[in-house]
Amino acid sequence: MSTAQNYRTINIDTLDPDSPQNFPLPTLLPSTLPPPSTSSAAANTATQVRQLLRSGDATGALRVVLDTAPLGGDEGAKQVHLATVVDVLQGIRQGEMGRVLEGVLVGEGGGERGDCLMKYLYKGMASTGPGSGSQSPRKGISPQSTGFSQVQGRNLGEGGGGQQMSVLLNWHEKLVELAGTGSIVRVMTDRRTV
Amino acid sequence: MSQSLRPYLQCVRSSLTAALAISNFASQTSERHNVPEIEAASSPELLLNPLTVSRNENEKVLIEPSVNSVRVSIRIKQADEIEHILVHKFTRFLTMRAESFFILRRKPVKGYDISFLITNFHTEAMLKHKLVDFILQFMEEVDKEISEMKLFLNARARFVAESFLTPFD
Amino acid sequence: MATAEVHHLFHNPIADHSFSSDKKTLAVARDNNVELYQKAGSKFSLTDELKGHEKTVTSVDIAPNSGRIVTCSQDRNAYVWEQTPEGWKPTLVLLRINRAATFVRWSPSEQKFAVGSGARVIAVCYFEEENDWWISKHLKKPIRSTITTLAWHPNSVLLAAGSTDSHARVFSSFIKGIDARPEPSAWGERLPFNTICGEFLNDSAGWIHGACFSPSGDALAFTGHDSSVTVVYPSAPEQPPRAMLNISTRLLPFNSLIWSGENEIIAAGHDCEPYRLRGDESGWQLEGSIESKAGPGADSIREESALNMFRQMDLKGQSQADTQLKTVHQNTISTIRVYEDANGVVNKLSTSGVDGRVVIWTI
Repeated sequence: MSTAQNYRTINIDTLDPDSPQNFPLPTLLPSTLPPPSTSSAAANTATQVRQLLRSGDATGALRVVLDTAPLGGDEGAKQVHLATVVDVLQGIRQGEMGRVLEGVLVGEGGGERGDCLMKYLYKGMASTGPGSGSQSPRKGISPQSTGFSQVQGRNLGEGGGGQQMSVLLNWHEKLVELAGTGSIVRVMTDRRTV
Repeated sequence: MSQSLRPYLQCVRSSLTAALAISNFASQTSERHNVPEIEAASSPELLLNPLTVSRNENEKVLIEPSVNSVRVSIRIKQADEIEHILVHKFTRFLTMRAESFFILRRKPVKGYDISFLITNFHTEAMLKHKLVDFILQFMEEVDKEISEMKLFLNARARFVAESFLTPFD
Repeated sequence: MATAEVHHLFHNPIADHSFSSDKKTLAVARDNNVELYQKAGSKFSLTDELKGHEKTVTSVDIAPNSGRIVTCSQDRNAYVWEQTPEGWKPTLVLLRINRAATFVRWSPSEQKFAVGSGARVIAVCYFEEENDWWISKHLKKPIRSTITTLAWHPNSVLLAAGSTDSHARVFSSFIKGIDARPEPSAWGERLPFNTICGEFLNDSAGWIHGACFSPSGDALAFTGHDSSVTVVYPSAPEQPPRAMLNISTRLLPFNSLIWSGENEIIAAGHDCEPYRLRGDESGWQLEGSIESKAGPGADSIREESALNMFRQMDLKGQSQADTQLKTVHQNTISTIRVYEDANGVVNKLSTSGVDGRVVIWTI
């Protein structure tokens, strides 16, 4: 009975395989897409990259982590890899950013690496940082609080993954300087998400 | 504070500049129509990957690009309940007058406080870089405005409390 | 560097423009009409309006030899306009499409023209003597989205099409009785109607905005929304291309491009100025803008107080405030066309854009 009542609200376009709504998005993926990978593979790369980072080879670490991006991987692999990239980015001091970035962008596939890093910067900003334990202020404040205390309020507002975001924002600025707005455009168009 | 505000705004600026590469595009689902594809969302290939720029959990900008329109949503900083109420009232005041702001969307996207809808007709009639400037100026002014209102509200509350409590001294 | 001759016609977007072969007449698409301008001295003045479309006119093309004008619009129609003593007379074309017509170009032979549409078809139109009307045949498969751009091969049979499904394709539009059998080329030998001679996709996808065959027809260049230009050199029929070179730039996407010789491409788009690319089969590079930076805004950077400058940088994240762009075009360039060429080498080209300007560049 319920289906009979709701037939007016059925979007018949979705039932037509030829309708624009059912555009086959996989046709936008190139044939060069790397094979699917899983989170365990991503975890292996993570150990390798962390070793490079510990040995002081920041440029090498960033290069490897961007070259091994699981473009064809599942969601788990992508999450693990994102954490690795963010770790690498956070592990590089601000003063070294420019030098490391230049090192990453030169050579074969340098442009690709730049685009890939840009994807990770946006993805990192889109996901709420793993280290941020604080909740959103709306829920975090107890009902008794009137909100009149300014000092406390300010602290709350500045928290919540601010540290990680500010690192990502600094990287973004440097990368736009070197790779231009073109690489942001490619983050939007590229269907090979990270 | 300005320390992290500058890269944030710079990032919003470059992201918006990249997203605003839009052009006139007629609907491919309904004939003789020309609608903002980001709102219609009738063909997945015409929508691009959305971009999020965030300064921290409470200050974010979501940019959703499509072939002929871009939706920009802003989450305004709300440090406490008073700011939350002020932001709500302030954005309500603006959205109720959306038609005089051209690019303002009447209803914000879920999870954000205020949204703008920029179509190719806006970028044709107005200078693109000035539109970007406008959004950035808005972001910066709205923070200032809310803090000012809060200060004013606090001062007034203190005054009211004082004069209310004086007779009982 | 190039010199620019700027004609600021009005304050509306120009979707497309076309010059007649003697360069005296200029047709521009403005809203629902096409306006014809005649050259008088150094200026263009409005002489005629082609009225008939009910929605935004998306494309206009003047056939160089016959002088016929073809226009198409988002109202799903295309008209062929012929000059008669009483003025311009439109003939409706039987397009048989049910969505917006987006792009139209005459074939070099002027026997046919192709209309791209949002109905995921390309209508190849030709004149049928018996019934005295323009009829069309549809190129359908495997187009999955709106056609945004078309380009003819010099042999008038091969047709390149770009679409919002991020693919650039090369079709055969051979119509018996109209076309002479084409010479076999690297694109294909036998070319019945709707043969797909090539289908290309960039790694980073992006809607295709512009496409063009090289003067010899042996290479195809197309530009997409991923801010890149791709050049394809076919090897042999049914074979993967000999080389497919993707030049991704740090700029905003290009909307339109032309070849100005076998080793040079000029592209323009959202950055409001034309750029030159050079290269060959082994590799292509972006050379830079063809514009010499002496535009209206270049020398008018006002001295600002240090406080103001830092405030701008701090609060808005910009280094200077200016209303006027430094480029000749003040908004997105939508079309770039060859204006004058000699033996395949272009020495003048014209651009039109959203800012209502038509600019003729001498390279």
